[in-house]
Amino acid sequence: MAVDTMTASPALVDESVPVRYAKAGAVFAALGLFVLIVAFAVVGGDDTTLVRFDRTLTDAEWAMPTTVVMAILGALTAAAGAWMLAGVPKRRFKLVSAIAVTAFVFSLLIWAYSQPGTVFRAESILAGALFLSLPYLFGALSGVVCERSGVINIGIEGQFLMGAFTGVLVANITGNVYAGMVGAMVAGLLSTMLLALLATKYQVNQVVVGVILNLLALGFTSFMYDQLKKAEGLNSAFSIPTISWGPLADIPVIGPVLFNQKIFVYIGLVLVAVVWFLLYRTRWGLRTRAVGEHPAAADSMGVNVNRLRYWNVTLAGLISGFGGAWFTIANSLAFSKNMTAGLGFVALAVMIVGRWNPLGVLAGALIFGFTTQVARDLDASGGSVVPGEFLQMLPYAVTLVVVAGLIGKAKAPAADGVPYNPGDK
Amino acid sequence: MRLELKGLTKKFGSFTADDDIDLVVEPGQIHAVLGENGAGKSTLMNMLYGILAPTSGEILIDGEPVTFEGPGDAIAAGIGMVHQHFKLVGPFSVADNVQLGREHTQGLGVLSAKAARKAVLDVSEEYGLKLDPDAICEDLPVGVQQRVEIVKALSGPKTELLILDEPTAVLTPAEITELLQIMRNLAAAGTSILFISHKLKEVQAVADTVTVIRRGKVVAELEPTASEAEMASAMVGRAVTLQVDKTPAEPGEARLEIEGLTVVSDAGVKVLDGLELTVHSGEIVGLAGVEGNGQTELARSILGLIKPDEGRIAIDGKDVHGASPAHRIADGLGYIPEDRGRDGVITEFSVAENLVLNQYRDAPFARRGAVNAGAVRKRAVDSIAEFDIRTQSPEEPVSALSGGNAQKVIIAREFSRPRRLLVAAQPTRGVDVGASQFIHSRLVAERDTGTGVLLISSELDEIYALADRIAVIYNGRIVGEVAPDTPRAVIGRLMVGADIAGADDTAPAPDDADQTDEEANGGDR
Repeated sequence: MAVDTMTASPALVDESVPVRYAKAGAVFAALGLFVLIVAFAVVGGDDTTLVRFDRTLTDAEWAMPTTVVMAILGALTAAAGAWMLAGVPKRRFKLVSAIAVTAFVFSLLIWAYSQPGTVFRAESILAGALFLSLPYLFGALSGVVCERSGVINIGIEGQFLMGAFTGVLVANITGNVYAGMVGAMVAGLLSTMLLALLATKYQVNQVVVGVILNLLALGFTSFMYDQLKKAEGLNSAFSIPTISWGPLADIPVIGPVLFNQKIFVYIGLVLVAVVWFLLYRTRWGLRTRAVGEHPAAADSMGVNVNRLRYWNVTLAGLISGFGGAWFTIANSLAFSKNMTAGLGFVALAVMIVGRWNPLGVLAGALIFGFTTQVARDLDASGGSVVPGEFLQMLPYAVTLVVVAGLIGKAKAPAADGVPYNPGDK
Repeated sequence: MRLELKGLTKKFGSFTADDDIDLVVEPGQIHAVLGENGAGKSTLMNMLYGILAPTSGEILIDGEPVTFEGPGDAIAAGIGMVHQHFKLVGPFSVADNVQLGREHTQGLGVLSAKAARKAVLDVSEEYGLKLDPDAICEDLPVGVQQRVEIVKALSGPKTELLILDEPTAVLTPAEITELLQIMRNLAAAGTSILFISHKLKEVQAVADTVTVIRRGKVVAELEPTASEAEMASAMVGRAVTLQVDKTPAEPGEARLEIEGLTVVSDAGVKVLDGLELTVHSGEIVGLAGVEGNGQTELARSILGLIKPDEGRIAIDGKDVHGASPAHRIADGLGYIPEDRGRDGVITEFSVAENLVLNQYRDAPFARRGAVNAGAVRKRAVDSIAEFDIRTQSPEEPVSALSGGNAQKVIIAREFSRPRRLLVAAQPTRGVDVGASQFIHSRLVAERDTGTGVLLISSELDEIYALADRIAVIYNGRIVGEVAPDTPRAVIGRLMVGADIAGADDTAPAPDDADQTDEEANGGDR
């Protein structure tokens, strides 16, 4: 073992030496200047931004001078940009960009809520953000289970549609909303089972299968929707109660956000913990990650790669199918054509932003939920300075910034999407 | 364990990979299976390990016939295997890799990290294979990764037979010596070992008995005392000379000058760190080093596939900064890439098409933008004859060729036009003895025409056979330039980063340094 002790490690680039980030620095500096200009030129000097805890402390209200706060945040963003232009230590880069992005987003929020008649209802918005993050959460968790096993599940959108449709149908037939949820899960499972079979046994290209399954689900549910319209009482909206945790629900901020929500929220949060534990702390998880990373290694240790992939993908359908039920049952809506509106694809982006890790997925889903909620809220209040169409872009714009600026290169499981034949190297 | 194979046969369609193989491994014996690439060694081992099902024949363990549905059955029967291509999950810890497939749990499928760690430590202590159970495998040097593989194979419920498939291909001389010693210790403790190799010296050093297979058939049973020439001719099927005839080099002007070349990887590691190297016309400079010390990046930088972060590369006295690979090739740079399948040939293309990949735009192979099929075919017929490429026709896809013949296609292509400088990276990797000999003599002939040759190889034998000057690369730097008659021990030490003069300073204790010296000397056998 004498050899090891003599082996020096290769030279690393010193991370404490300042490096110039011309592009990122210029962008942040420009954004900061933009905020400063808006603060002094566009925003009226007397404008205030109102914040209210609208559910618990309904009487209290905080007003802040828009110009001053925006100027501070804008200066912060611009300063971060200037630091990057001058040279910032490599290991500080992410922290500095995070500060710049956060300051910029908050300054926009403060500007948007500065119009007379708009109030930042903190509790409603945060509670709504958590609720709206759920489709991304369920979709991305399903994606994590599939892709960690090495199968790309691009068909989450289709599983959402099947779940949304079947959930309502089963609830109508049985008259029980919880039976509807189970029905949605089974529908999701049946869709992924098809993907699992084609991807493992027949080794068809997984992206192609996923796209086709999406189109199949869209066509099938749209057709069935037209048929059900003719019959009474098969596509009526069902609602589920909001669970209130008594006195806990009255705590400011966390009460309305955490202790006064529908069961979907609690299932989603528990599922994050469960999937994380299963992936990183159990035999199943170890094998699943091995199969997604280096299937030949798992095979050589007696793990049946394709069987494990088959069952993982199939069972992941339970999660995405349940996510489908969110669209109808959790929102107390009847099914309508293409009601998932591409959120299944956004869920895939959330999975990548979350780096194929359930905890990262939770963070990503919350960012999306928050931006979606803010956009809806401003759009509804009608007093926003920014047009509604622009606000609907907000979640996606934030994704681009987050993915490009903060996450950097995301590393997928090495064997993601690669079919496995026993005997492969 | 006594393992016996009786008439084991494996057919893939009409192709017979293994034909009626008989073989017996006695308990505690090291049994070497020697054969060229494509002789059927790996197929044989895959049958033994349950990865492939035999077409006919049987496997007997202690006299009882067994059938394996998968590797799980083989492991349960007491067989452990160290694969040629490591089967380690890179981002996993050592403990997780070892426990994969037979996890230590605390009930209900919940892993017990403590038990897994202890199991690794127990086995590594029992067999003297030092390992850190918490280290992440992809961060470990290859030699240590292989130790993980061995511990993994020994961690089966009752491993009594160990299959080592070409285990020394990626190791340094010192690591090879250490591995051979581990094998002897294991055998002494009663473990039977099947040692697959095509390296004669190693087989002579450890084997108790040697079985030679050629084209899927057992052609000889030899004693380890048999001479290298005897083993080689059994493998190849004809007499082979292992020496390369060459005259002393007559170096001329500098053809390749590299100054301060630095390349930083995406991960922020300086894979090349101020490298300096010069190659003159009419000489072969051998670049020795353990793989992964920057050789790949160096070759790709010379060709222009990587843009260096710092430093200067001059070919034929001209700074090539900013010149595209096509430009450099047109100016007389020949390139034999280390990864044949990825960078060397387009496997779906025919032999003829691959032979003109570097000239397809030039007359006579192209006329007004259209390929001139006649000229391409004529070139192919000529090259196939000149370079002895064994193919059924010029139209056959390269994927149907053996590794050695695919390599000859690359050599033929690169040698078919005037060159000033040749970069040959691992030119005989995965190539059998006969074809290696041919490639070596062509490289020497190339040198004699005045071309400067940079030979990058992780095989010291190859460096010694060909090089007129040896440069050793370590951590992206040239750590020494020595004459070709320098002892292996010295180069072996340079390859692991020890100074020639200051070895005692860098080693933690004098004892350790001495030991390394001995090991390196041992590797010279």
